[in-house]
This record gives sequence, structure tokens and C-alpha cells, in this order.
Amino acid sequence: MNLVRSELLKIRTTNTWWIFALISLPLWALTLLINWLQADALTSNNLGDLSAEEAAQVAAVASVDALSSNLFTTGQFFGLLIVMLLGIIVVTSEFFHQTVTTTFLTNPHRTAVMSAKLVAAGVLALLFWLVTTALNLVAGSAVLNAVGLDSQLGNDAAWRAIGLNLLAYLLWAVFGVGIGVLIRSQIGATVTGILLYLGGSIGAIFVIAILAERWGDWINNLQLLVPSLASSLMVAGADIPGNPPRWAGAAVLIGYAVVTGVVGTLLMRRRDIS
Amino acid sequence: MTDGQRSPTSDGQIVVSGLTKQYKNVRAVNDLSFTVAPGRVTGFLGPNGAGKTTTLRMLLNLVTPTSGTATISGHRYADLSDPLRHVGAVLEASSAHKGRTGINHLRVICAAAGLPKQRADEVLALVGLSPAAKRKFKGYSLGMKQRLGIAAAMLGDPRVLILDEPANGLDPEGIRWMRGFLKNLAHEGRTVLVSSHLLSEMQLLADDVVIIAAGQLVRQGPVEQVLGSMAQSARVRVRTPQAEALTAALKAQSATIETDEQGVLLVAGVDAPTIGRAALAAGVELHELTTERPDLERVFLELTAGKAGIR
Repeated sequence: MNLVRSELLKIRTTNTWWIFALISLPLWALTLLINWLQADALTSNNLGDLSAEEAAQVAAVASVDALSSNLFTTGQFFGLLIVMLLGIIVVTSEFFHQTVTTTFLTNPHRTAVMSAKLVAAGVLALLFWLVTTALNLVAGSAVLNAVGLDSQLGNDAAWRAIGLNLLAYLLWAVFGVGIGVLIRSQIGATVTGILLYLGGSIGAIFVIAILAERWGDWINNLQLLVPSLASSLMVAGADIPGNPPRWAGAAVLIGYAVVTGVVGTLLMRRRDIS
Repeated sequence: MTDGQRSPTSDGQIVVSGLTKQYKNVRAVNDLSFTVAPGRVTGFLGPNGAGKTTTLRMLLNLVTPTSGTATISGHRYADLSDPLRHVGAVLEASSAHKGRTGINHLRVICAAAGLPKQRADEVLALVGLSPAAKRKFKGYSLGMKQRLGIAAAMLGDPRVLILDEPANGLDPEGIRWMRGFLKNLAHEGRTVLVSSHLLSEMQLLADDVVIIAAGQLVRQGPVEQVLGSMAQSARVRVRTPQAEALTAALKAQSATIETDEQGVLLVAGVDAPTIGRAALAAGVELHELTTERPDLERVFLELTAGKAGIR
């Protein structure tokens, strides 16, 4: 408990957290705008001619459940990125500023220290989720009202998506810590994390689409293996035809988080600090 | 210091035994054994790259030894139940987050060690850093950084202090302060182990020395004893207007004599009283008679000759 308090104090006593919060705000506003336009388009029913299959997908996405889930998890795409970067910094700043020596002198039980870092990153993720969700409940219901649906504050599917969104925030924070241990260089880890998240998901969509065209639709299920796609699948408000089920996204994400968290801790236990 | 009785519960004693660290191509520390006694300042000396830092880091569980053990009060560092209350260590001057204030740096450590956060204010006052408590670390001078490191080491009021090159980058005033501070801690009965390559400083500070080179022990013992072991090279400086007469008188005592500047003789092989008696007997006038003590630097260079350098 002392260690977690210490880790949180480390975060609180530097600029990092509020700089990241400041960056998050405009990114959240941007995604809100996009989600609003999307909701508006989907509910106005003028998408042109669609094949039967496409129509079914659109119907799923345009369902009240999916629309409200999407709006109430606004900001997820960049929010997860920010939370992952914070997780990275929780570890790499110790190497960057050479404070890791003091940290391990204060408590030579490295597993305990790493666990405290994972918990602290999780607490940070929880706070980011809490603030984002509070904003989303206000802004999202306003948008839903504007497009002619009710505020949907009682929608079970939407609340499930909000809960899963929290899970995604927590898991990405854990990833961040794992990446930070694997790549101690602050810049190296940050760049790798961003590339993995942005480049990885965009590239993967592209590659998977090409492969699916060539070898058949089952390839689409591979998108599960891309962490960022798995998490967006996880919080989708409804199962979309042609996509893997949502629980699978959650399972994959938890798997990644457990592996990076455990591998990171084991590496840190063995490493010489010099 | 040497092979005294080593009780495993002896409080504050550091025992390094057969310690070895093999990196890929370099044996940084090679079968190193020594002990450090409480109540004294022990200088840990060696040329750059001798393995001092690696040894200290193995002692503090930061680096895993290839073989051998290093214990503090009979325990490995990782097995100490409350390490900060037992051992304080200063390893790098610049080991704080640049954007964090000095006081917050200490509070973070207090939180992790379960110490009350007032300790942070107390140790800042102890090292004379209170006025800069709320300044960010990046605004600290090198001397202030060293003081903050010592403040952090003192948080748990430890019995054992371990410092790696604490005089690095300090101005003369800072070095004098550090010397007084560390001597005082040893005087209170604490164990103080200080690594350094600044030999003149060590001669003023240390009671005991442990000298290593190329990862191996070269000599250990009280400073006087280590210097004394080289006493044959001690010389007496004599100033006289009758240099030739004195030279003749001393030659009879089988002394070896060098002349330095005009009217100054450097005499080896006999001690100062003998020279004085010989001068008196010969009716030679003396203006100066000084025993030149071998200094640590000369001893060190002789002992580590050929073992320094890049490995």
C-alpha cells in the first residue's frame, strides 16, 4: 500500500499527468464531433444503395444500442493511447531520470514495486475513464437527443459498453507498463507504443482487408489479434455481422495485458541496475 | 579490519566475501573480500574502472553477483526488513526527477518506506537545503544535488551510510562540509563507507582504507598502517646553510641523500631525531627538519601500478 501511495505521489508531483489531461481534452472533443456526425448520418437514412450484407451491418451499427454505446465511449481511441503512454512513462521515467536506483533501494522487493506500478497506472487509467465517462454522459445524451433518440441513460447495452470501456482503459495502462519495461528508453518506448497503437491498427485494417479479399472472410477474424482493434471491438455496443464476437476481443486484450505485465515484472526482477 | 571475529549479528558491519561479477567480456570484480567496521569512515579506493561502483551496487542488491556474498549487519540487503532504516546510500548525484521539487523527491521516498513525511523536512534542514525545498531538481547546482542525495540517505536515520564518489563536483566549501558531516556520523558510531578516487581528500577523511584495482583487493587496513607499510619511502626534508658538512655527517649513518633546491637535502634511511643528533655533533646549523610522510596518493600509485586503465 505504501508503494502504491509512493507511485501515485510520483505521478502527482510532476507535470506529466496534467499535460496528458490537457492533450486528451481536444482529442476527446474531436472524437465527439466525429461520433456526432456519424450518428447523424446513420439516423438520417440517406446512405445510398447498399448490398444486403452492407445493409445488415449498417442496421447493426445504427441500432440504438450501438449508437449510444459508441457515444458513451467517446474519446476511447485517443484515451487508450494516452493511458498507455502514461503507463510507459511510469516505468521509463525511472530510467530516464535514474530514480530507479532510489526506488529499488527503498524497496528491494522488485515484484512488489512492479505490482505497485501496475496498480498506480491502473488508478490513473480509472481516473481518466471516470472524467471521460462523466463528459460522455452529458455530451452523448445531448447528441442522442439531437438526432431524435432519447438520452439512453437507461440502456443496458450502453452501460455494458461503458463498463467494458473501463476494462479497456485498465488493460492499456498495463500494456504501457509492460512496454516500458521491455524498452527502457523513454523516447524509444513512447514511439514504439504510438506506432503499435496507431500504425498497428491502421496498417492491420489495411492488410487484413486485402488478405480477406484474397482468401476469404475468415481472415477478418484475425483483427482480433491487433490489440487496438480488439479493444474497439470489445466496446462496440452490439455484435456486428461479419465481425468476431465481443467477448473474444476482451479475452485477447486480457491475454496481452497479463503477458506484458508478467513478462515485464519477471524481467525487472532479474535486471542489473547500473 | 582484517580477520577479526565476525559475528553474523554484529550491528553495522559490512562483510564482502569472495564477491565476483563477470560481465560478458570483463570480470569487473574478482573474488573480492573485505570488511568495514562501524564507528569509522572507510575509504573505498581504486582507479577508475576498478570495480568500486559494481561492488557497491552488488552490496545494495542492485546488481546480482556472479558468485560470493555481501552482507550488512549479517544480512543481504534484500533481506533487511526495513532497509532504509538500516542503510542509507548515495549512488548518483543526479538521481531525481528533473521536474520534481527537492521536498517532493524526499516525500516520495518517505511514502514508499512508510516514514512520516516530516522526515523530509528534517533531513533537508540537516543538509542545509531547506531554502531550496520547493525548487525543482533541474534548478539545483551539483553541490545541491549531492546534498539532496545525502538527505535522502539520512531519511531512515540509518546505522550504515554508503556513498559513491560523494565529493564529485563539489566545490572546496562543499567538500569541507561533507568531510565534517561524514566524520560526525562515524563519530556517532555509524558505519560510513565512501568510494572515491580523490586520494588527498580520503587522507583527510578516512580512518580505514580498502584499495582495489582491476576488481581485486590490493590492500586494506587503517590509513596509518597502510601508509606505514610504505614507510621505507618516508623521507626527511632538511634545510641547512652547510649542506656539504651535513651530507658528510649523514653518509656516515648510511643515509641516502638527494639534493632538492639549494640548501635543501632529502634524506632517506634515517629518522629526524638521528639527523638532528648528527647535525648537533657536527656543529651544523639547521633551519628546517621535516619528516615527509608518504601520502596516500604515492602509496596508491605504487600499489595499483600497472593495474589501472581500461580493461
